[in-house]
Amino acid sequence: MSGEELIFYLFAAIAVVSALATVSRRNPVVAAVWLVVTFFAVAVCYLLLSATFLAAIQILVYAGAMMVLFVFVIMVLDVDERGREEHRRPTRIARVGYYGSLLLAGGFIAWVLLGTLARQYLNPGADLSKTPDFGTANAIGREIFTDYLFAFEAISLLLLAAVIGAVVVARNRRDREKDSLQTGMSHAARHAAGVAELPPVPGDIAPPGPTPVTDFGAPSATGHDGGT
Amino acid sequence: MVPITHFLYLAFALFLIGAAGVLLRRNVLIVLMSVELMLNAANIALVAFSRQWGNADGQVLAMFTIAVAAAEAAVGLAIVVSIFRARTGTDIDDLSLLRD
Repeated sequence: MSGEELIFYLFAAIAVVSALATVSRRNPVVAAVWLVVTFFAVAVCYLLLSATFLAAIQILVYAGAMMVLFVFVIMVLDVDERGREEHRRPTRIARVGYYGSLLLAGGFIAWVLLGTLARQYLNPGADLSKTPDFGTANAIGREIFTDYLFAFEAISLLLLAAVIGAVVVARNRRDREKDSLQTGMSHAARHAAGVAELPPVPGDIAPPGPTPVTDFGAPSATGHDGGT
Repeated sequence: MVPITHFLYLAFALFLIGAAGVLLRRNVLIVLMSVELMLNAANIALVAFSRQWGNADGQVLAMFTIAVAAAEAAVGLAIVVSIFRARTGTDIDDLSLLRD
């Protein structure tokens, strides 16, 4: 068994085991940290497929940005008292496995990325795979900004829409009501935005005329103290 | 050299685990994490085929998948926050407002 095969089966096993841990933990924070291990192991698999740029992106976007997003939301929600004992007492095996696999994956990724960079700059003719720059940022960037330019722009638009949508959805109702009043939206527009009750129907308004006066009868000696 | 089928087996296993998480778990946060797991499995398959044919298109597509996954996570978590404000809970079985 060659070194590459050994590394693949090791990290494939780590990925599967930590994915199982992700879906089986009660506490979402514990599940999130196991998900980080899965992402690191998957990044190592990208490296074995000589997709170095994608491995770096995987770490940056998944293990960096998305995990922080998940953990922040869990912190804001303050959910799940049930899984607390998991949080308090991770077993020794779980701790060793967690930190060990993270260190292993992180070290391997750093090693391969540094090695790739060194080989590219010191020895430009080094054959990494079928073409010399297969999977590097150079090759991927050339593809993105030529053949896939339209898709790239569409993706950027999608990300913008997602950011705006997330902000709009996550704001609470009182803020939205205040904003809609301050910007002077019409009642119908506020109803369409979901911050006002039903719009007034024109025929439904009471016709202008004398205000009806309620007759309370003669003042009673015992019913009202007169505000002395 | 690891044969490409083994990468596909790994992708299959991760996708299966993610699908099981989506179907079996009731915590909406873990359901979202399982969706990320399934998208990752699809990415592994894309990159494996890209390597098989020596063609970078699969890697570009995998990068787009990562961007879509990030957008999905942002909107999904915003919806989770919004739901949690409205009805205080992350149990997915409580969310039957559109059904009845």
